[in-house]
Amino acid sequence: MASAANTNMNAVRETMDVLLEISRLLNTGLDMESLSICVRLCEQGINPEALSSVIKELRRATDSLKASENSTS
Amino acid sequence: MPKYNGDSITELISALCDSSLSGFSWKRRSLCGVSQEGIRRTLWKCAFRVLLSKLFQGDTSKAAASSYALASTPARNKILMLSFNLRVAGCQEEAERLECFLAQLHEGASSALTELDAVLELLALLAGSAPQPPTSL
Repeated sequence: MASAANTNMNAVRETMDVLLEISRLLNTGLDMESLSICVRLCEQGINPEALSSVIKELRRATDSLKASENSTS
Repeated sequence: MPKYNGDSITELISALCDSSLSGFSWKRRSLCGVSQEGIRRTLWKCAFRVLLSKLFQGDTSKAAASSYALASTPARNKILMLSFNLRVAGCQEEAERLECFLAQLHEGASSALTELDAVLELLALLAGSAPQPPTSL
């Protein structure tokens, strides 16, 4: 039972590693942490198109915060 | 950074907001009177505004109709199209690796993840969205 769970964990880890490599080659800007959050959101049924819009919007928002940080420093 | 053990959508969106703030200078922010919590709340609202607007968008919009052909293309084929683009751009090695990883994904752990196609779709949608790393001269 425990061995089956371990096998599944290893399979998930390997799949995540491959997904991260694909993500890097495609220059998506996702690191392992954000990729794993996205995978979990997809598994919760979130539409990938909606999720990609959320990620792009969050980047815009944080970029403008960073820009304002630089202009005030 | 807080850890999120739950898998609820709200917790995961909060985690996504936090991860987008990595490398942020909170010390300097707090000197300017901007609280960490305030920025988190702003990002969280922003994320949910976009998410909800997409969820409740009708499928009958013109944009949806015009992009129907692409939308119905399987995620794996979209990645292969991106690989073709890499080849056209002269990045043969990257294209080879991309196709190799894609094959690996479909051969091996044929479903360690239940929503593999949705994740590939997301990666295809985000392709090229990050700033290019600076090239060394």
